[in-house]
Amino acid sequence: MISVYLPGASWIHRIPVRLKLLTLAVISMAILPVHDPAVLGAVLAGVLVLYATLGPEGLKQVTLLKPLVSLLLIIFLLHGIGGSWMEGLVAVLRLVAMVLLANLVSVTTRMDDMLEAVMSLFYPLKVFGVSPKKPALAVTLVIRFAPVLLSVYSSLAEAYRARTGKRGSWRLIAPFALQALRLSENVAEALTARGGAEGLAVETTANTAERRRMLKRNL
Amino acid sequence: MFGVNKRATGTGRPKGLKGDMAFWTPHRMRRDEEQRFDPALADFAVFEGAGLTLGGREVLKDISLSLSERRIGIVGLNGSGKSSLVRLLNGLHLPGCGSVRIFGAETAAVRAQLPRHVGFVFQNPDHQAIFPTVEEEIAFGLTQLGADKQAAREGAADFLKRHHCQPLAKKPFAELSEGQKQLICILAVLVMQPELLVLDEPMASLDGLAARRIQQKLKSLDQKIVLISHDLQVFDGFDRVIWLEDGRVRMDGVPGDVLPAYVTDLDRRAGAATDEVDL
Repeated sequence: MISVYLPGASWIHRIPVRLKLLTLAVISMAILPVHDPAVLGAVLAGVLVLYATLGPEGLKQVTLLKPLVSLLLIIFLLHGIGGSWMEGLVAVLRLVAMVLLANLVSVTTRMDDMLEAVMSLFYPLKVFGVSPKKPALAVTLVIRFAPVLLSVYSSLAEAYRARTGKRGSWRLIAPFALQALRLSENVAEALTARGGAEGLAVETTANTAERRRMLKRNL
Repeated sequence: MFGVNKRATGTGRPKGLKGDMAFWTPHRMRRDEEQRFDPALADFAVFEGAGLTLGGREVLKDISLSLSERRIGIVGLNGSGKSSLVRLLNGLHLPGCGSVRIFGAETAAVRAQLPRHVGFVFQNPDHQAIFPTVEEEIAFGLTQLGADKQAAREGAADFLKRHHCQPLAKKPFAELSEGQKQLICILAVLVMQPELLVLDEPMASLDGLAARRIQQKLKSLDQKIVLISHDLQVFDGFDRVIWLEDGRVRMDGVPGDVLPAYVTDLDRRAGAATDEVDL
């Protein structure tokens, strides 16, 4: 469900990332105690209007809900069978509104802005000697590699279907986990090869001044 | 698996160190004073009896090499130690015995700083890109060097323009073709201005056209290059080729000597294989 950044200069793009994240948190918490489907429907309609203001490309992002349809259906059925259908409708409306709103933030925010904003949340960790850049980068990697992991799962499911004629099953969980672990190792190695999470800004050798001059010249 | 860095440990404290300087250990002094990169050195990489064991298997054995040529190719069968050898160049692996020096500095002592001097491009571009869009991916290299966000963005845009990749700047990395992905991975490394570029089978997943364009791009670069490939045509114009077999250097010389011998050996092995699973 996590979409990639949609380049643009819309009014939502121009909102500071911290304000976007704060608004997302406030709205998400505000609709949690709401049980009126009319109110939740209105919130959802409002979110869709926000997507519409991004243009056709923005509206296209809504179709990314498709992978969630089966999950939403299960939630609706569970509520309907165990409680009431109205509760199921409320739960689904609330979830869809929250997911779309969170997605709106991710499609209108550059990852480096997001990284900076998330990093500030982890500044208190400095007290314990933990660099805030590491957990912030981890958040970035989760967002970046969610589609890659989905693609890994699709490939496995395709291979399974080619040999069995059936759709993906629980048997794919183990190979998927193994491939995900291998992927994480490869990504960690690639990150290390580029200076690691901490970067290369601190250097103890005499080359520092020379490199800084080179960097300045390059920029 | 990590070897003791004998060169980085001195034999005694220098005379005359008093007061504030008293915390200096011989090890630290030699790191600061001797383990400096000198990109002007003719031999940019020197292996002295380097060995490496991974997962209980000896993947490199007693490698002694001096690399000075601008374009060096590495060939060998899968499992011959090619990837392990080039990973010693940028500190992804450290030698278990012997030593590896890059631009005069021992990798074990300067491991954290090696990515500044040795850029590394992997086989699969999807495993390398950290940011979702091209411009952010390039900018990441600059922030790694200490540039602030705005300077990195401007620097990335300028860098992409200079490399005629401006139209890709705002594109999501996932939507690029395989060739474009690999090109961006190479640029993401180049933006950090390494003196040496190491590429581990960068053309393995590319079609013929994309592979040739990447090859042309590599030819145009000023950096020294060490390249692993199974496609021997990419070594056209190279100065030297090293053939690895079972973790050792089987042959080392100009491509005109090494590549024909390597091909002959491949033909001989293919002809001699009697078992169908001998692949």
